Amino acid sequence: MVNAIADTSFLIDWIRYSKSKLIFKLFNVIYIPENVLNEIKSERALIWVSEGLEEGGLAIFPELPEISREALDLVVRSRRVPVRPVDYPEAFCLVVGRRLNFTVLTENGGAIALKNYDPEYFGVEVLRGIDIIYRLWRLNHLNSFKDELELYQRETKHIYSRKDLVKYSDYLK
Amino acid sequence: MRVDADKIREWVEYFREAREIRRRYANWDFIRSQPLNVRIALEYYIETGDFRTAARIAGMGVDEFVDMAKDLAGIPSVG
Repeated sequence: MVNAIADTSFLIDWIRYSKSKLIFKLFNVIYIPENVLNEIKSERALIWVSEGLEEGGLAIFPELPEISREALDLVVRSRRVPVRPVDYPEAFCLVVGRRLNFTVLTENGGAIALKNYDPEYFGVEVLRGIDIIYRLWRLNHLNSFKDELELYQRETKHIYSRKDLVKYSDYLK
Repeated sequence: MRVDADKIREWVEYFREAREIRRRYANWDFIRSQPLNVRIALEYYIETGDFRTAARIAGMGVDEFVDMAKDLAGIPSVG
């Protein structure tokens, strides 16, 4: 199994899902950068993270200067493009993903767009909640992709757009 | 960095659709009833999807702001 690194946008949504702990079946360890941990204040999120740390499914990723510098460069670069830019925490995760071959977990549109338009990041695996649910279903951890995606969207109050759903249209009929 | 203009156009449209969804689902009565900084933060979030800056404007933690936007202001995360 591979390692992953999660940003704030992913964690905020994912931990509202009643089957959120299933994610640990897909990854060896999910890292949470220090800068992401600093943004989490709600009881629900803190409990989810602390339980994950206790059980070993989560670990803290330290603020390494080399990665920080590259992440800041990426933030600046993304602001030259006329779509939503990436913020520092998402940029940090993308840089870790590229350098260490970690899967990046995000729901941040800026990060998802950058992976699509910036050639340096084409090779980074970026997954969202919908992709995780699909993989869990393919591995038989969930009974129905369609029903589970509906549950996920209802519980997390996350709506996937037409563009997002097209990729999975064959499995949503 | 060389960027594919067609891809950028697609993403501009993607973010426009996301903004329309946030506008449509928003509980505007709740938003208008909020203190000035929270109201402006929620409106900023609807227009941009930038939850981090919106949380700063509201003077709240990032996850606390997003939870409030979803559960009280009816604004889903989109995309």
